[in-house]
Amino acid sequence: MNKSIWLGAVALAFAAVLGGCNNKAELTSAQQTGSNPPLPAPQNFLLPPMRVPNGVGWKQGQMPQVAAGLKIEKIASGLMHPRQLYVLPNHDVLVVESNGPGLEPVTTPKQLIAGKIKNMSGKGGKGGNRITLLRRNGADGEWEKHIFLEHLHSPFGVQLIGDSLYVANTDGIVKFPYVTGETQITAPGVEFADLPGSIEHHWTKALLASPDGSKLYVGVGSNSNITENGLAVEYRRAAVLEVDVASASSRIYASGLRNPTGLQWEPTTGKLWAIVNERDEIGADLVPDYLTSVQAGAFYGWPYSYYGQHVDTRVKPQRPDLVQKAIKPDYALGSHVAALGLWFSTDNALPAQYHGGAFVAEHGSWNRSPLSGYRVIFVPFQQGMPAGLPQTVVSGFHSADEKELYGAPVGLAQDADGALLIADDVGDTVWRVTAQ
Amino acid sequence: MISVATPRHSVVANAVYGLLNPIPFGAFVAALVFDITYARTGVLLWGKGAAWLIVIGLLFAIVPRLVNLVQVWITSRVIATRADRLDFWVNLLAIVAAIFNAFVHSRDAYAMVPAGVWLSLCTVVLLAIGHVLIAVQYSTLGSAIHE
Repeated sequence: MNKSIWLGAVALAFAAVLGGCNNKAELTSAQQTGSNPPLPAPQNFLLPPMRVPNGVGWKQGQMPQVAAGLKIEKIASGLMHPRQLYVLPNHDVLVVESNGPGLEPVTTPKQLIAGKIKNMSGKGGKGGNRITLLRRNGADGEWEKHIFLEHLHSPFGVQLIGDSLYVANTDGIVKFPYVTGETQITAPGVEFADLPGSIEHHWTKALLASPDGSKLYVGVGSNSNITENGLAVEYRRAAVLEVDVASASSRIYASGLRNPTGLQWEPTTGKLWAIVNERDEIGADLVPDYLTSVQAGAFYGWPYSYYGQHVDTRVKPQRPDLVQKAIKPDYALGSHVAALGLWFSTDNALPAQYHGGAFVAEHGSWNRSPLSGYRVIFVPFQQGMPAGLPQTVVSGFHSADEKELYGAPVGLAQDADGALLIADDVGDTVWRVTAQ
Repeated sequence: MISVATPRHSVVANAVYGLLNPIPFGAFVAALVFDITYARTGVLLWGKGAAWLIVIGLLFAIVPRLVNLVQVWITSRVIATRADRLDFWVNLLAIVAAIFNAFVHSRDAYAMVPAGVWLSLCTVVLLAIGHVLIAVQYSTLGSAIHE
């Protein structure tokens, strides 16, 4: 037996394993935005690609960077994983403090290890399961902080219709009576409508009321990356549900949307738009997350295909009949940026270049090198459709060497003065952006 | 391992080896059965079961493989036969294949097919060769077969 040949073969084998770790992106986020993103061929990896900066939070006085002509201030800190923002008619700001319910069982060796690595970023921080109310004090302009609503169950979306406040917990919508001007709701909530609540691989339930208050739209994420928890647990998931407010009955409004984390009405056309997080582990440049109008009854591909008819071979059985029907989304945001906040704004307190378009908060990648996302962008719109490249509005959420994570933007809203509000669930802060 | 008298063989090492060495083979055979079932049915339970079996097999292989390494190349170097050395190398290759396979099995859903099936088959065939080599060696030495 020639030992050196054997040892050489073993060494080569290990080199191949290490080579398999390389998941460097070849395209920049900017190259992969717009209506026609380049899509490289999918690949399989030996090591699940992971790259997670270490969550350290903001140091005293440290802030995100804003584009020229803008300024940023902190209006609340010390929150418990603030995720979503909602401005009430009396200008009070609700901050939903929440994180996943931790229901997903560990069913593979990979989950055991990946879960530990992801938590290092601070994105796994414990959620408050509550809503905090911020009110601007007329005298000095400071923001008061009140605990508004407690004992929720991984809440995300919140909407006010008349005098009813609808809160989307991870497993159902709960209805609370709201009295204008109150800083706390103590009345018990009434269960309004069930939502898919098992496993909760993607736990957020985005919520949006129709302008006439007759319907609620709910973004329900898939229960897996790509059906690895079985197809049975995907019932009524990866979809936008439409709930009738009068009867609480619901239907699937659109499907094949892997993780629709933000829903908004496009102001000029009145159409429903969503931001959607696409699938992982087939490449650093696959698959771009997207911003799209949501057509009633349409199928957007997940899990069987992406960006129209690009088939995903990881799904068994395959469904060519559904792939054929899959609609291509309107606007790519870049791969793995993790868009989690959407806000359309026709007019605001920012310079004119940020009027008439969509702000999108990119929570940031955990499986791409270099990192992508970790910023708030503005996508200009014309005639109800995206027109042009996104502009970075807020950035600087991680250190230049990509090792430390200070914050990560999630929910977006606009306050009474037209300032852009940003929830930051790693920095446990709410930021406010205005013109300089 | 040859059990003919060699004073330098540790009884403890042999006992530990005899106890732990069969476990990986059983786990890897079961993983192969699960992998084939998953490839044919697409029912995820089987693929995930195979992923655990491969990791379990690898963990249980650590101690007996180290014992074997020390015995074949150090403590029993003088009396180790060609079959002993060959057994060492096929086991090493089987472990390398299984390590690759553990990574392949970390892929989501059907992405572990077909590479996972081939690597499982590779692991089992290599280990089987090792077992047959040692069994044949025992029969030529005229002793009962038990590792």
